Amino acid sequence: MVIELEPSTSYLPRADLDRLLTLLQQDGRTVIGPIARDGAIVYDEVRSASDLPAGWTDEQAPGRYRLMPTDSPRLFNFTVGPQGWKRFTQPPRVPLSTARRQGSAVSFEAEVPQPPRLAFLGVRACEIAALLVQDRALAAGPYVDDDYRARRANALVVAVQCVRAGPTCFCTSMGTGPEVTSGYDLVLTELEDGFTVSAGSQEGGRLLDLLRPERATEEHRAGAAVGVAACRAQMGDQAGVAAEGLAERLMDRLDDPRWIDVADRCLACANCTMVCPTCFCTSVGAVSDLDGATTVNERRWDSCFNGDFAKVAGGNFRPRREDRYRQWLTHKFATWHQQFGTSGCVGCGRCITWCPVAIDVREELAAIAPPYEEARPRPTIGAGLTELPMVSIPPSVLSPAAKRSVVTVATIASVSTETADTFTLRLEPADEALLAAQPGQFVMVEQPGFSPVPISVSRVAAGHLWLTVRAAGPATKALVSLQPAAQVGLRGPLGRGWPMDRLLDRDVVVVAGGIGLAPLRPVVDALLRQPDRFGARLLAYGARTPTDQLYVAELGAWRRAGMEVGEIVDRAGPEWLGQVGVVTQLLDRRDWRGQQAVALICGPERMMQATVSTLRTAGISRRRIFVSLERHMDCGIGICGHCQMGAFFVCRDGPVFSVAELGDLFGREGI
Amino acid sequence: MSGEARQRPRVGVVKLASCDGCQLTLLDLEDQLLPITERFELIEFPEATSLRSDGPYDVLLVEGSVSTPEQAEEIVQLRARTRLLVTIGACATAGGVQALRNWADEPSWRAAVYPTPDYISSLATSTPVSEHVQVDAELRGCPIDPGQLLELLTALQIGRRPQLAGESVCLECKRRGNVCVLVAGGKPCLGPLTQTGCGAICPAYGRACYACFGPREQANVDSLHKWLAADRPLIQVDSLFAGFNAWSPPFRAPAERAMRAFHAPEDADA
Repeated sequence: MVIELEPSTSYLPRADLDRLLTLLQQDGRTVIGPIARDGAIVYDEVRSASDLPAGWTDEQAPGRYRLMPTDSPRLFNFTVGPQGWKRFTQPPRVPLSTARRQGSAVSFEAEVPQPPRLAFLGVRACEIAALLVQDRALAAGPYVDDDYRARRANALVVAVQCVRAGPTCFCTSMGTGPEVTSGYDLVLTELEDGFTVSAGSQEGGRLLDLLRPERATEEHRAGAAVGVAACRAQMGDQAGVAAEGLAERLMDRLDDPRWIDVADRCLACANCTMVCPTCFCTSVGAVSDLDGATTVNERRWDSCFNGDFAKVAGGNFRPRREDRYRQWLTHKFATWHQQFGTSGCVGCGRCITWCPVAIDVREELAAIAPPYEEARPRPTIGAGLTELPMVSIPPSVLSPAAKRSVVTVATIASVSTETADTFTLRLEPADEALLAAQPGQFVMVEQPGFSPVPISVSRVAAGHLWLTVRAAGPATKALVSLQPAAQVGLRGPLGRGWPMDRLLDRDVVVVAGGIGLAPLRPVVDALLRQPDRFGARLLAYGARTPTDQLYVAELGAWRRAGMEVGEIVDRAGPEWLGQVGVVTQLLDRRDWRGQQAVALICGPERMMQATVSTLRTAGISRRRIFVSLERHMDCGIGICGHCQMGAFFVCRDGPVFSVAELGDLFGREGI
Repeated sequence: MSGEARQRPRVGVVKLASCDGCQLTLLDLEDQLLPITERFELIEFPEATSLRSDGPYDVLLVEGSVSTPEQAEEIVQLRARTRLLVTIGACATAGGVQALRNWADEPSWRAAVYPTPDYISSLATSTPVSEHVQVDAELRGCPIDPGQLLELLTALQIGRRPQLAGESVCLECKRRGNVCVLVAGGKPCLGPLTQTGCGAICPAYGRACYACFGPREQANVDSLHKWLAADRPLIQVDSLFAGFNAWSPPFRAPAERAMRAFHAPEDADA
C-alpha cells in the first residue's frame, strides 16, 4: 500500500531542521530524540540537529544489535533502539507519595505530578501505537495514573516515518506501521536532502505556520511514499505474526508443550519487558530514613518475569519460568485485547533484538499458536480479534477517588484477638468514603516504611470499619501490634465485592474456610439485617482447628438470629463436640433447589475448588457460585499489573468472581 | 548509660576468611555512620574498634567463608549467641573466590603459596556460612553494596523485611538506561543470571557483569552458557563462572569444568 500524503505536505531541507528544533525550544520544550551512545541509538536530549546520529545505521537480529557507520547524511537512517518513549511517559522511577510517622500518628502526602515540557523527535509509527496502547492501560480506564497522564499531555510528538525495516520489525503484522496515520503533532519523512513534513494536530499546524517551510514538490511527495512503501515491502518478505485470530488460538494452547521448551531457553531476565514500549507493570518500593519516620514511596518498573511479582504471603502463583513466559506472551497477544481492546504488541521487535538468547516471539507464536489449517468453530473466548469480550466492571462499584498516591488516615479504635495470629482492628477512617465499602471489597493498608497490604473489610458499622488481619509477614505483624489511637493509612474501598443484589429472594449459601470468613462477615450482617428479603440462609464454616475459628462469639448469635450455621474442623481438640472433616461435608446430601440458591465462597483456593465441585453436583449453576480470590496486589486499582489472572485484574475486576466468569482459569496452576 | 541507649540492638561485625572489604562498606556509609551508632550498639567491629565482645548479638554481620578448622567451630559458637545472623558478601554467602581451591589439591596449593606450609592450618574447602549454620539473611556482592547494607539496617530498625530484590541485573541496567553490553557489545555478560543490588555498575561503564552478586532466583545458567559458547571456546565460558560465586550451586558445574581444565589442560579439549 502506498499512502498518498496530503496535498498540504511541506518540505524542509535537512539544513533547516534546526529551525524546527529552535521553535520547539522557544516553546519551552526540551527536545528528546535519537542520539548515538554506547553502541546504540538511545533517546536523550537533542540540543541541535548536530546531536542527531548522522551517518549511523543499525544492524539488528534476534539477540544482536550493532551500530554501523554509513556515508549517508540521513539523520533517521535506523529503526528503533533499546529504549521506548515510556522512559519519558512512565519513567523507571517516580516518587508517588511521602509517608511520615510521628509517634503513633501518620500522614501521607501525594506527589503532585510536575511533568517536564517535552517534544519527542523521531517517534516511529510502532512507537506512536505503543503510546496509544499505554494511554489505554494507564489513562483511559476507570482509574488513571496521574503522573503518566500529566507527562503524556505535556509531550509533543514529532513522528518520523520509517523508510527501512530491520529484520526484527513486524509492525505490518500488527497493523501499526510503517505509515504514521494518527497520534502525532508533526510527521516527517526523510529524503536524501531533507524531509517532507505535515501536521497532525492543531499544535502541529501552529508550528508549521511558524516554520513556514516550502511546499513539497510532486517529487518530494513521491519520494516519501516510495520510501515508506519499500519499508512495508521489506517486512512482507520476512517473518511476521499471524495476528488474525491469534488471541483465541493462544488461549486455546495454555497447555502446549512448547511453553516448557521456550522456558528452557528463557532466562526470565525481564529484558523483553523492559524494552517493550507497552509493558507497564510497576511496583512501589519504600525509601525510608533509618527510623522510618519519613518514607518516600517510589514507583518502579517491574516485570512479570521476576520471582516476587506474583508472590503472596502463602506462596507464588507463577513459580516457574514457563508460567512467567506464558503470562507475558498470553497477556501481550491475547488477554490484552479483553483488557484494553487492542493487542499489547505493536510489532517493534525490541523483545526479539534485545533478548540475550535470541528468543523470537514470531517463532514462538508460530509454534505455539499457528493459524488453523482449516476453518473450525471459534473457541470459547470470543470471535475475532477486535470482538473479544472486553472485561467490564459496573462503574457503580468503583470508587472514583481511589488513586495509588492518595492515602487517607484512619485511627485505630480497638484491637481484638481472634486466634493466635489473627486480630480484628476497628478503625475510624478520616475519609467517610471508606465507610461506603460494600461486602467483599477491600482496602490497601499503608504503614510508613512498609509495603501496602490488601485487607478485606470485615464489617462496616456506626462510622467504623473492621479489618481482620492475619500476621503473615512483617507488614501485617506490625499492623496487628498497633495500639488503639495509633493511625494507619488507607486506600479504598477497592474492588468488586459480593453481588448482593443477586442474593435477593434466593437461598444463600455462604461457605468460608479459616480467615476466609472475614470478607463474608459483611454478607452475614446483611443477611441478618433484612431476613425477609432472602430465602434459606446457610453458613458453612470450616477451620483447621477449633482455635482457628474467627468470630467465635458471633457464630452462636448468628444462629440465634435465624441463620443456619454449620461448623467443622480438620482436627478437633478435646473440647470440640462438633463435626470433624472438610467443609464440603456440611454441604453434601443437601437437596438444593439449584434454580434458587446462590453460593458465596472464600477460603484457600483448593478448598474453594472442592466446594465449587460439591455445589455444582448439587445443581447450582456456575453463574451463581461466587469466589473471592487472593493475588499479589500492589496498586489495588488495576494499573500495576501484579494481580492479573487471565484477562482480569483481580484487584479491580474482582476479587469476587463468578465461577462462570473465571472459566477454566479457576484452579489452573501457574496463571 | 540511659535506659533508651541500653535498648539499642547489639550489633557485631565479625570476619572469617575474607579481605575486610565488606565490613569497610559499613565505614563507607560516612554520613549515616553517626545515626547508625546512635541506633545500634556496635559491640564488635574489627575494622573500626579494637573492642571485642562475646555477644550476645541481636544482629551479627558475618564476613568471610569458613576456611579453617577454627572458623568452623567459631561460626557455630557465634550462631549460638546471635538472634539474627546476616552473611555479608560473596565469601560468607557463597564461599568466595577462595572456594576455587575446592577443586584443587589443597596441600600442593599451600606448598606453592607459603614458604613454610606447615604453619598453615586450613580446611581443604572454603565454604559458605550457610553450609555450617542457619543464616537469616544475606547481602550479596564482592563487595556488598552500601545502599543494601543501609536498607538492611533501616529494615531492622523499622521491623520490615529488607527490600533486597531477587531479580536480574538487567532490570537495573534498563532502568538506568544502560545499553546492553551483551546484545549491543557482544560481551559475555552474566547480568541475566545475576542477582541485582549493585546498581548495574559494570555495564554502566561498558563492562560485562561478572556475577559478583551471585546467581539470582531461577538463574537459567544452561541457556546463557549455551548461547555464549556458540561463538567462544567452552573454557572461556566456563571460566566466567569460576569467580567469586563459583561454589554457589547454579554456577558449580561450569566452574568445576573450568577448574578441571585449569588443572589438567591437556584434557580440556576432550
